[in-house]
This record gives sequence, C-alpha cells and structure tokens, in this order.
Amino acid sequence: MPDTKNKGDGKQNRGKIRTSKSKGDGGGGGGGGDADDFDAWMKSRQLLKPDDQLDLTEAELAEEVTKVLTPTNTNVVHNLVVFSFKEGEFVPAPLPGNTVTLISFPGNSLHVDSEEARRQAEETDDVAYPLPMPNYSLVEQRDAELGEGEEGEEGEADDEDKMEDKALGGEEEEGEEEEDEAGGKSGVDGEEDGEAAGPDDDEPSEAQPAAATTSKKRKLINQFNYCERAALTFTYPKRSVDTQTIPPPRSQFGANVLQWVIYDSYLADFEEQQKDNRRDDARIVKRGMRQKKFKDKSAMAEQLNKKYLKCWQILERMINQNIYDDIANDYRYWEDPADEFREGEGNLLPLWKFQYEKTKKMSVTDILFNPSYYDLFAVCFGSHDFMKQTNEGYLCLFTVKNPSFPDYIIQTDCGVMCCDIHPTYPFLVVIGLYDGNVAVYNLRGDCKQPLYVSRGVNCKHGECVWQLKWGPDMTDGEINFYSVSSDGRVFNWILMQNKLWVTTIITLYLEDGLVDGPDGTKVSLKSGGCCMKFHPVDPKIFLVGTECGYIYKCSTAFSSKYLMTYNAHNMSVYRIDFNRFNSNIFVSCGGDWRVKVWEDMRADPLFIFDLGSAVGDVKWAPYSSTVFAAVTTEGKVHVFDLNVNKYKAICIQAVVPKRKNKLTRLAFNEKLHFIVVGDEKGVTTSLKLSPNLRVMVKPPKKQLYLDQTTLQISKLEKLLSLVRELPEGNIEPDTATTVRS
Amino acid sequence: MADEGEGGKEGEKKIVHVYPLVKHSDMNEEMRTEAIELSITACEKYSSNYEQAAKIIKETMDKKFGIYWHVVVGEGFGFEVSYETENILYLFFAGNLAIVLWKCS
Repeated sequence: MPDTKNKGDGKQNRGKIRTSKSKGDGGGGGGGGDADDFDAWMKSRQLLKPDDQLDLTEAELAEEVTKVLTPTNTNVVHNLVVFSFKEGEFVPAPLPGNTVTLISFPGNSLHVDSEEARRQAEETDDVAYPLPMPNYSLVEQRDAELGEGEEGEEGEADDEDKMEDKALGGEEEEGEEEEDEAGGKSGVDGEEDGEAAGPDDDEPSEAQPAAATTSKKRKLINQFNYCERAALTFTYPKRSVDTQTIPPPRSQFGANVLQWVIYDSYLADFEEQQKDNRRDDARIVKRGMRQKKFKDKSAMAEQLNKKYLKCWQILERMINQNIYDDIANDYRYWEDPADEFREGEGNLLPLWKFQYEKTKKMSVTDILFNPSYYDLFAVCFGSHDFMKQTNEGYLCLFTVKNPSFPDYIIQTDCGVMCCDIHPTYPFLVVIGLYDGNVAVYNLRGDCKQPLYVSRGVNCKHGECVWQLKWGPDMTDGEINFYSVSSDGRVFNWILMQNKLWVTTIITLYLEDGLVDGPDGTKVSLKSGGCCMKFHPVDPKIFLVGTECGYIYKCSTAFSSKYLMTYNAHNMSVYRIDFNRFNSNIFVSCGGDWRVKVWEDMRADPLFIFDLGSAVGDVKWAPYSSTVFAAVTTEGKVHVFDLNVNKYKAICIQAVVPKRKNKLTRLAFNEKLHFIVVGDEKGVTTSLKLSPNLRVMVKPPKKQLYLDQTTLQISKLEKLLSLVRELPEGNIEPDTATTVRS
Repeated sequence: MADEGEGGKEGEKKIVHVYPLVKHSDMNEEMRTEAIELSITACEKYSSNYEQAAKIIKETMDKKFGIYWHVVVGEGFGFEVSYETENILYLFFAGNLAIVLWKCS
C-alpha cells in the first residue's frame, strides 16, 4: 500500500512540475487567449502536497515496483488474546475473520413474517399492517444490545477500528433517539420523559431502556385518538284525549199480537187500499183537469192579448183613417180633372208618407208589395253608401191602412239590402244583408228571431246581397230562393229542416276577363251582380245585371253558359224588369242615366231614354203594357207611356228636394193605381197616378169582346213592330255563348 | 172464534189477505223492503218452524245491517221493546203471523 501511495505521490509531483513548467510558459509567452484560459484554469488547481512526501529522483520514480495481491489478510491479528476473569488468565480470542466492517447502518425496516416483527406486534398489540409504522422500540432494543457489546469492547479496547465504528454507530443511534424524543414531546401531551432526555454518551445503558418504555406508552395513548359526538332530539310529552260519541237514539215500542188484531189490521188496510185506489183515480182526473185549466188560462191570456192587440190595431187604423180622411178619399176616389185638358201628360198626387222613427237616417234599399195583401208592402232599410254603412238594418212592413207605424218590424245587425215575400206563403220573408248573409223570417211568429239564417264563411255571399227571389218549390216540395251578390255569384238556397242549404247556380265570369296574374297564372275576372230578374213564364231563365253594365241571360240549368249577353249600360245595371204582358220585353236602368227597353235575344235596345241622372229603379206598370216608371237620384219620378210618347216621359215629377234627397226605389201597386217610392232619408212616399198615366186600351168597335190583356199585348206588338229593324218572326234562335267556369 | 164468525160472512176476503202488511215501521225505504222480503222468504220456507224462521231472519239481518238484531215470529204474543230508532219492523204476514224485527245493542 505505501508503495502505491508513493507512486501516486510521484505522479502528483510530476503533475506539479508540469504545472510549474506551464506556469513558466505562461509567464514567458503570454500568448493567445487559449493559453491564457488554460493558465487561469491551472492556477486554480494548486495541488496540495503532504508534508511528509518523499522527494524522489527521476530514476526512482521511473523504477518499477512489482506488487502481488494475495487473498490473505495481512491485517488480521492472529495472536489476539482476552483476559478471562473466570480462569484468571489470558485466553486466545477467536479469530475475528476476514470481514472488515467499514460502516454499519442499521435500517428500520422489518420483514413482516420475521420473528422480530411478530414480537413487535405482540408488544404493541398492533395488528400487522402491510406497511407498519417505523417502530422505534425495536431499534432501541437493538441499540441497547449494541451498547452493551460496546461497553464490553471498550473494556477490552483492543481493536481500534472496530471501536471507532461502534462508537460512531452508537452516536448515530443516540442522535436518532434524540430526534425521536423531541418528536414525541411535541406530538404527545403530558408525557414524562425528563430522565430519559439526556443525550449522554456516558450513560447510554440508562437512557435506552427509558426511551423504550416511553415509546411503549406513547403507543398506548395513540390508540384512543378519536372523539365522539351525540345529540338527542326533543321528546314530546304524551297526553291522552278522549271523546265519546252520542249513543244512537232509542225508542220504545210495544204491541200485542193476537189473531183478531191481525185480522182487523188486514181488513182495515184492505179498505184503505180500495179507498186509495178510488181516490187515485179521482186525483188523476182532477190533475188532468187542473193542468188543462192552467193551459187554458195561459192560452186564454195569450189569445186575449192577441185580441187586445187586434183591437188596438183596428183602433189605431181607425184613428189614422180619421186623421188622414182627406188623403184616404183621394187615394180611392180622386181623379185629377185637369187631365182631360192635358193631352198626353199626367201627374202624380202625393198621398201618405211612410216612415219609422228608427230608420230616419237610413236609405230605402228595396220596396216590394205583398203578393197576397195588396195594401201591405215591405220596405228595406240600409245604406247604399259604402262609407256610411250602419250597424243596424230594418225591414218594415207598412200598410196603407196605417201610415203612422209599420205593422211588422224586423231588426238586423247590418243593413238590409233586399227582400222577397214568398208568393204562396206570404208570411215568409227572406232578406239579404249588406254583409252577404241571408235570413228567412216568419211574419206569423216572432219577428225577432229568423227562421233560417246563413251561417259560416262558406255558407254566405262574400259581399252585399243585391237581390233575392223565391223560386218555385223543388220537386220534393222544398222551399228555395235565389240570391245575387256583388261577389259575382248567384246562389240557390234551400230551406232544409233546420238549416239553409246553399248551391252555386252560376259564377259571373267576364267573357274576356282572363288576365295575367302573378307568376304567369291566369286570373279570370268576375263581375259583381247588381240585380236579378226571373223570367215570368220560364222559371229557369233569369237575367242578371252586373256592375260592368252587362246583362247576362242565364239559366239555372247551366252554370257555365250565358244564353245571351247584352252590353246594356256604361255603368252598373241597377234594376231589370220584365213586361207584364210580353215576357220577351224587359226594361233596364243603370248608373249611366239611361233607361233601355230590350227585346229578348236582340243585342240592341229598342228604346233608350236619358233621364239626366242615375236611375235607381224602373218598373213596368201592372195594368198597361206600355207604361213604366223610373226614379232618379235627382228626386224625380218619370212615367213613360210608349203608346203615348215614344220619345219622352209623359210625367216628370219631383217628389223630394233635388239637393237634399235622392229617390232610390219604386214599386207599383198591383191592384190600385198608385206607386210607392223610397228615398235616402228613410221615407216612403205613396203617389197616385193621374188618369192620363193609366190609359186603358179601348177595344175597337168590331172587337168589343176582346179583354184588356189581349188588347194590351196587341198594343205592345203594334208598337214594337214599328221599332224593330228585323222583320217580325225573325228572332235569332237561342245560341248559348260559352264562358269559362 | 171471532175469526170464524166473521169468516162466515166474508169468507172470500179472508183468503185474500195473506199479503205482508206492515203494521208499524220507522225503517228507511231500502231497509224496509229488504227486511220484508227476507221475512217473507224465511216464513214461507219454514212455515211450520217459527223458531227456525226467526233464526234465519235474525242472522241475515245481522249480516246485512250490523249485529244485535232481535226477531220474534209468532201467532200470539205481546212485546214491549226499546230499539235503536229507525230499526224496527212490525209486520203481519200470511194472515195469522206476526213478525217483529228490531235492533238493539
């Protein structure tokens, strides 16, 4: 070993020399940066040399020293002896062996299955965890053992190396213990450890058992490191509550059962029963009587009321007759004597004015005489002004016997535009409303609720209903009527058991009304119907006047064809009327101030009259084939007799003031020679026709047997033959023109 | 007996009177109908054994309307009972029978 050391030293020396050399180089040269760096590095490596280092020559240093390594340990002491007090002499100690302990570092890990671990578990009452806490007690025990050994060795003090090692180990152990105890102090309260605290090297034997005991104590304390909490809820005190129900009520009953009692009871009961039977019969009869009486009473009251009403009505009429006595006389008997001196001219004598308090601001939209009662007429109240529509409408039935108050009043919630009275059931009235609805009323019953009313969106006209007409009964006896509206359709309504059944008769498409709609579609235009008139002879044929001024001749049998189209007026056609004596002749009036007389299937009118303002209504007289009357918005009534004057009216008379009022509708009385005209202020005026306006045909002397009808027809024919351009009998055949539907 | 004396007079009528005749009852309609029905059935079934008939009536009434019913069936007897109100029926039947039903707990 020393040799190797020396060798090493020699090397070091060489190195040192080299450094000095390099130093010298550095000093002399003082060259490049590299050399400088190197010098700096070298400087920091000042090698230290032990003082006792041999100074060897180069030769000595170069000398080779041969070393042989053998397995024998030269440091082992072979002749080691120990003094034995027992024998009183030195005895050779056993060989310490070849093992040299350089460092001893006892760990604190134990194998779980080992004997020590088992013992430890027994001591601490611990179950063996897979990873037991570092157990100091065990370490300490071992330390104690070691300490003992140390002492013994110290006593002998022969092996310095060992001693040193052991002492080192002991110190280490002590240090650990110190740390431990300090930890224990801080961790566990109130532990007594004063005696064992001293980290004395001199008394390790004392200190270590103490440490062992404290560690044991510590364990015991740690076992109870937990706490417990508990709470108790409030317990309610108990108490008992009792109630007692009222016992069911009791009664007493007693009797004696004897055969004769039973027998008597039966007898009595039987008699009672028989009596009851008789009484029941009597009672039923009585009750029936009473009910009948009651019914009779209410019925009688009703009848009485009706009688009273009738009486009152008669009384009212009588009073009216007395008040308007002069008018009533005029109405019947006045014949204007001046007519005799006025050739071809007549006049109108105003009679009563009919008005109703509630319809003063409404316009008369239709007038119609009842077919059964000649003096009863219906007046519809509404408005012709689109902007001034009222939210109520009336149908009033006046009689000339009572000009002061209507006999029947029907109120609706929108303007009444037209009405019709059934010819065979004169109590059935149908009205057309401004909102497109129709309603049927029964005048015999309550006039407040309609018998039938159109309901729903699809079951009504889209716009105002302009004219209505009862049709002849269907084959199975159903009552039906037709209506025309400005939505361009003609409907047929059938009165079913409990509802109105509607079918479209015709949609009034314009013949050239196909226009381009959006996106390349075609829209066919409809023309709004304004009026409608059924042919007096053929119930299938009817004429419809439109807002475009056309008159279409239609049939209920075809829904897509017009039998004829008359280009009649330049504005809306207001009314059409068939001649009473010749059903091929009809008259029309329109907003273009004109009245035109047409012949069936002739495209051009026979007569045209310009009245100077819009003509609201035109009607043929029922008594003469050549007389018709028209009313204008100027407030004038024009009466024509074509037989008398083919060019102008034989009577033009202003009935209402020109500026303030307009005449709207007109109706001839069927039996007596008077007309009624309605105006915009809700007033209906009756006017008596003077004798010149109702000239009858005098039969020729040779043909006195001819009746008036034949004469009237022949009169008209004679007149027409003058006007017709085509020779008579050359009437164009019915050719239907087709329109798209 | 008096019966026969009168029976001679109106023999026909005596035969007729066998229908149930309610002499006294304060039961409600439903209960009464049921009780009468039941009594008739039992008495017809056990026409010779009144005891059995009474037993049947009592047991059935107990089942249907709650316990503590008392029933007497007989041709001649006297009684004086206290009962829960609306629970008594005193009935004649078949011309010579009297049936009393009452409830008392």
